[in-house]
Amino acid sequence: MTGLLALAPLAPLAAAALILLGRRAAAPLALLGAGASLYGGARLLSSVAAGATASLALPGLPGLPLALTATPLTALLSVLVATIALFVLTYATGYMTEDPERKRFFATMLLFVAAMQTLVLAGDWILLLAAWEVIGLASYLLIGFWHDRPGVPAAATRAFLTTRAADLGLYAAAFLLIGATGTNAITQATHPSGPAALAAGLLLLLAAMGKSAQTPLHGWLQDAMAGPTPVSALLHSATLVAAGAILLIRTAPLLPPAALLAAGLVGGTTTVITGLIAFAERDLKRLLAASTSSQYGLMLLAVGAGYPLAALLLLIAHAAIKSSLFLASGVFQHSRDSTRLDDLRGIAAERPLAYAGFTLAALALAGIPPLSGFLAKDAVIAATLASPRTAAFATLALAGTLLTGAYMGRALHALWHGQPHPRPLAGIGWMIAGLTGLVALAATLALAFPGIRTLLGQPLPETVAAKAAGLSAALTGLALGWLLRPERALGPLLPWAQRGFRIGGGLSALTVKSALTLARACDRTETLLYGGVLAAGRAGMAVARAAQASDDLGLDALIAALARGANRLGARLRTLQSGLIHRELALATAGAALLVASLAIALLAAPAIPPR
Amino acid sequence: MSIGLLLALLTAAALFGIGLYGALSQTNLVMIMMGVELILGGALLNLVAFWRFLHPGSYPGQMFVLIVMTVMAVEMAVGFGVAIARFRARGSVEMEAARELQG
Repeated sequence: MTGLLALAPLAPLAAAALILLGRRAAAPLALLGAGASLYGGARLLSSVAAGATASLALPGLPGLPLALTATPLTALLSVLVATIALFVLTYATGYMTEDPERKRFFATMLLFVAAMQTLVLAGDWILLLAAWEVIGLASYLLIGFWHDRPGVPAAATRAFLTTRAADLGLYAAAFLLIGATGTNAITQATHPSGPAALAAGLLLLLAAMGKSAQTPLHGWLQDAMAGPTPVSALLHSATLVAAGAILLIRTAPLLPPAALLAAGLVGGTTTVITGLIAFAERDLKRLLAASTSSQYGLMLLAVGAGYPLAALLLLIAHAAIKSSLFLASGVFQHSRDSTRLDDLRGIAAERPLAYAGFTLAALALAGIPPLSGFLAKDAVIAATLASPRTAAFATLALAGTLLTGAYMGRALHALWHGQPHPRPLAGIGWMIAGLTGLVALAATLALAFPGIRTLLGQPLPETVAAKAAGLSAALTGLALGWLLRPERALGPLLPWAQRGFRIGGGLSALTVKSALTLARACDRTETLLYGGVLAAGRAGMAVARAAQASDDLGLDALIAALARGANRLGARLRTLQSGLIHRELALATAGAALLVASLAIALLAAPAIPPR
Repeated sequence: MSIGLLLALLTAAALFGIGLYGALSQTNLVMIMMGVELILGGALLNLVAFWRFLHPGSYPGQMFVLIVMTVMAVEMAVGFGVAIARFRARGSVEMEAARELQG
């Protein structure tokens, strides 16, 4: 049991290490790692379903032990992550056939999966934070995988910085909760109260907003399309973006009513705004990215309505659906070397299998019975109808459903009409295999929903009104999307929506500007300090130079003058020595005469010596 | 003062003066040395005269004269040695031309 707990995150990690160490066989190793992880998760789920619970304590910080726990929720999410990862990696085997950097790609993907498994199974805040960080890093590496293409590093950096900025919320929330409850275990830490709980709840919401690309932080997700398509599929369905929703679903019992209201409002706003962006979008992958934000908005709405189980059902259904959509769009991308809807016209006749999968997934996302999306959407709408704030929440949920149908209808229409020009494609077999598996999952996942509901044992409202409203909204949306062009439907809103409502850009401009101002202020302080240090140094040099000069002028000059004087005296005295003997004799005579004269004067001047 | 002593002192002074004049006026090394000899002779005569007329019983005076005389002889020997060496080297003992010792 505990071995299985460790297997789920460690198998992908070990496979990643083997891929980096080995020379070939990156793809089989990756599939093996994901398969082992899935095996661990599935065995875990079956034993948890049988009533057992498991927890694996790891040595951690003193007083803050790390733990992996298997509860019905975590085991279920673990299986979800591993399943999606397995199919996406199968697809990637074909998608990356011709890429020389396959090894790096598969290793990073597996690191991503391992971190996500750790995050899902984490039983304490510290491990959760660590996994959260690794996910951010892996997503940065993957979005920037083709780092030599223009715009890709900027997109990766933007994704990293936006999610990192919001991650600070998770840090603050975790520290707040650990401080308030005295333990870092997530299950025990779920019942603080008062303002601390509200602050922690809002901070958790902030972290989830960053990772799940909720308004106003939704801009980065569309840019993240710069990465390879399997990365997008994994990122949007089961890993990075899902992490935010998973965090809120796991901590939903902890959130006070005010935080729930905030979560619902953020989710509802996001679902409408990003739905409009998706409807106006002219690029298929960016459309899907905006749609992801919109669907996670619906999940936040369900959490805000007080029914995390509804959000979980939508998360699971969305994981399978969105990864299928991305995988299909990856096939289209390889066929036409573009993801612009204008370039993809008429692809339906060219890639009928992929288009069929895309259509099935799109209908499921829109919420057409009996596909999985229908039941999940229905659960969300029923949750909003049963919530205390029906008026606002239900309107937003229905608007979101309508928009989902609209943009999916538009995408289907754009891909259907136009001239096909077929050409062969390498690795198509692997791609179709991964796609088929996921589409089958997306279509049939609804069968598992009753089992999940009994497994988790959480309440879920069910009304005919919700079903009818959801279905009619979805059908209306699909019809609108198929028939109406965005130019006519949106009118003056269109250019605004195509620019992503400028909120993301405005926010980053705000951040960049303030960061630059800060940097400039730092620079000015630095210059000032530098000037001060320089002046001090100059003053020291001046003092030293003055001391040196005084030395030169005083002592040295004195000694030099003495030497020069002695020299000059010697030169002058030298002229006396003519070497001529008679002249020196004359001098000697004159000297003797002087001596005699002075002696005589002394004798005469001296008092007479008295006789003895 | 006895007349003898006065005579001796006058003679010595004359010898000294003649010697000094000779030493200063001559340019030939031999002549200069002869002048120096005369100066020394005057001085010796003074010494002898003072000993003979004032302290005839004092032998140290006599000894002093003898020592000076010996030194005189040695000096002459050295002087003439120099003169001969210079003559051999330069063919002349004219001191006007001897400027080698100029400082």
